[in-house]
Amino acid sequence: MDINYYSQDISLAQGESGKKYTVMALKGDKRFVSRITSVGLTIGAVLIVLQNVRQLPLLIYSRDTKLAIDRGEANNILVETNLE
Amino acid sequence: MKQEVSTSRIRVGLLGQPNTGKSTLFNALTGSNQHVGNWPGKTVEKKEGKFQHQGKHYALLDLPGTYSLSANSEEELITRNSITSDALDIILVLIDASQMERSMFLLAEMVGMRCPVVVLLNMMDTAEMMGRRVDVDHLSLLLGVPVLPFVASRKKGLDALLELLDREEYASYQLRENALREQYESSFGQLFTDVEKRMLPLETESCSALWLSAKLLERDRAQLEGIRKSLSAQDWSDLQTLVDLPEDGLLSSADAKFNWLHSIAGKVTLSKGKKRGELNRFDRVAISPTWGKWIALGIVGLGVMLSFKIGYFFMGLVGSAWGWSMGQAYGFMATLHATPFVTGFVCDALITSLFYSIMMAAFVLGMLLVFNFIEEVGYLARVSYVFDVLMQKIGLQGKAIMPFLLCFGCTIAGVAGTRVLDSAKQRFLTIALSWVIPCSAVWGVISLMSSTFFGKNAVWVILLLFVVALFHLLLTATILSRLLNSGEEHIGLIMELPPYRLPHWRNFLRNIWLRASGIFAKASKVIVAVTVIFWTLSYTPDGNISSSLLYKAGMVVEPYSMLFGLNWELFIAVLISAIGKESALGVITTLFARHAAMGNVYNAAFLGSGIASGNIAANLLAGISVPQALAFMFAFFFNVPCFMTVATTYGELHRIKWTVGLVLYYFIFSLLMAGVVYRIALLFF
Repeated sequence: MDINYYSQDISLAQGESGKKYTVMALKGDKRFVSRITSVGLTIGAVLIVLQNVRQLPLLIYSRDTKLAIDRGEANNILVETNLE
Repeated sequence: MKQEVSTSRIRVGLLGQPNTGKSTLFNALTGSNQHVGNWPGKTVEKKEGKFQHQGKHYALLDLPGTYSLSANSEEELITRNSITSDALDIILVLIDASQMERSMFLLAEMVGMRCPVVVLLNMMDTAEMMGRRVDVDHLSLLLGVPVLPFVASRKKGLDALLELLDREEYASYQLRENALREQYESSFGQLFTDVEKRMLPLETESCSALWLSAKLLERDRAQLEGIRKSLSAQDWSDLQTLVDLPEDGLLSSADAKFNWLHSIAGKVTLSKGKKRGELNRFDRVAISPTWGKWIALGIVGLGVMLSFKIGYFFMGLVGSAWGWSMGQAYGFMATLHATPFVTGFVCDALITSLFYSIMMAAFVLGMLLVFNFIEEVGYLARVSYVFDVLMQKIGLQGKAIMPFLLCFGCTIAGVAGTRVLDSAKQRFLTIALSWVIPCSAVWGVISLMSSTFFGKNAVWVILLLFVVALFHLLLTATILSRLLNSGEEHIGLIMELPPYRLPHWRNFLRNIWLRASGIFAKASKVIVAVTVIFWTLSYTPDGNISSSLLYKAGMVVEPYSMLFGLNWELFIAVLISAIGKESALGVITTLFARHAAMGNVYNAAFLGSGIASGNIAANLLAGISVPQALAFMFAFFFNVPCFMTVATTYGELHRIKWTVGLVLYYFIFSLLMAGVVYRIALLFF
């Protein structure tokens, strides 16, 4: 599975509400990666950002599930805009 | 090997991710035949139950609800070990039909674990409502195990399940490896085949080479150790070189699993139905940064009031029964010509404490009705979402706000309400911190005492109490997080917001009843024991308080309690407030009104000698100095919550040591506070 690391990848914490993204990379420790992949956020997974405001956790929709993600952890998820 | 004894039970495991309806199914199968404890030596809760069908006996083990079977948490390891050890004959895996692909991840983790599996495709009603249809037979064919459509909340599918369990054809229910193997080979290339070949000699009855290889490549902590021990040094080092090749084995493995699931989902989904990515109108405000917290506080606040109204109603019913029973009991004792001691023991101690336990459970019933509904409907996750950032500051998850708010009304309800939290550790932390929160009874006593002593300045004393309480909360939170989070790094919130679902009323009521009776069963033992002891200590044959053991003990203790500014009456009152905070005033009345007929402290505390404010004021002002009053107020405010809260706490934690530890911590802190305040106050008053 070869997805290249483009410089226009942003962290999920910078995602815009209503936009669609594809997961490009996952940083962070093993426990985090294991946990985040087990709820469906793998490399190549497509997601929509439902809400991104500073005072609250991030809210996304992916694989039929609404997920709330801590903003700190969201920094460990690198995404690319999905134009489909 | 199973024993060939007629009472041997078929051991069934229940597995599923959170929100898949596992506890609904568990309750549907076991009813009241369940027992909750702790896994030996762990903080994870162990829930077991029994059921019978057609003369066969089954033991059901509710495995912790996790999203995966990695080595990263106690819950997952316990689940994994239960599956691989010989503990279970068959496992029922619950899948959410409306979120099939993601919720099947656990199945992907289980391929290669040779325990027999049956898949229960639950929440078929939700899927149907969304227009999703699944070819269940095809799914069964692809997976290699039986798949039963289910609506656990309506018990649909239960008969088919029982019938299947009956047939005992478990050996053939093995998840197919080939399709997943293809995915692993696609993700890892030839490497996977090589590793699997090396794992073949290490295959066991419970784990296949496929599973072992996957875990190895994922760098699974637990498996790495196990495999290293089974290989020679050379073989291990060769293996390590291979395993170190992939850039990120965990990611590639997850990839393979989801590709497998995606392809299966694609083949068996007959119609996709509508998408669910939008937030409905309510959710949009419920999670909004401006309105979310207020809506949550509003709904939870209303919930608290409603639950208390319902609780008091039920309590009233029990109270009437109590009154009637006491009348009957006294009469009966009289016909037996029983001595006052025996009559008192049976009626005032035993029967009273029993009814007290029932009243407590009845009260908690109100809370359970309201908050279980909020949880099952799905709203509680929204509360967790909006309060996560705030509650994390004291190391708790967002929805802990709910038991906290309950505690302002009644700590018993708050502690019982911690059930909604996700882990035993969270429950312990929340309960431990919630003991700081003053309940309505505490407010009643404090406001009365402070206005008696300080008149207009009462508000400053209350403010001071508040400030110290906040400090106490932060201090306790820091201590506890140091104690409990040793080593392990904390992962931030990763939480599912489940779709809103209306719970089925029959199941819902039954679950609540089970919980209330569970609380009653555990707490009543403590309540009856403490009450009987207290009654015995307060017993006075001649109506004079000086004849009771309590008085004698108080006399012995006084020189020491004066260190903290509490003369023996106040000290006893502080201790007795452990019975019920509101009883403190009644007790004080008794203790100070030494010439009053009612010399029995127990009666004052328990049998409804209420707050006669006129008497109190005179007695108190005459009897105590300002520093002493302050000392008492601080000791009272920060002391252990009423003993029924302690009983309920024990019921939730299952561990005597932790409960006793909390009691000691709070008791000591309250005495220290009283002492400090007393000494400081002596300088001014």
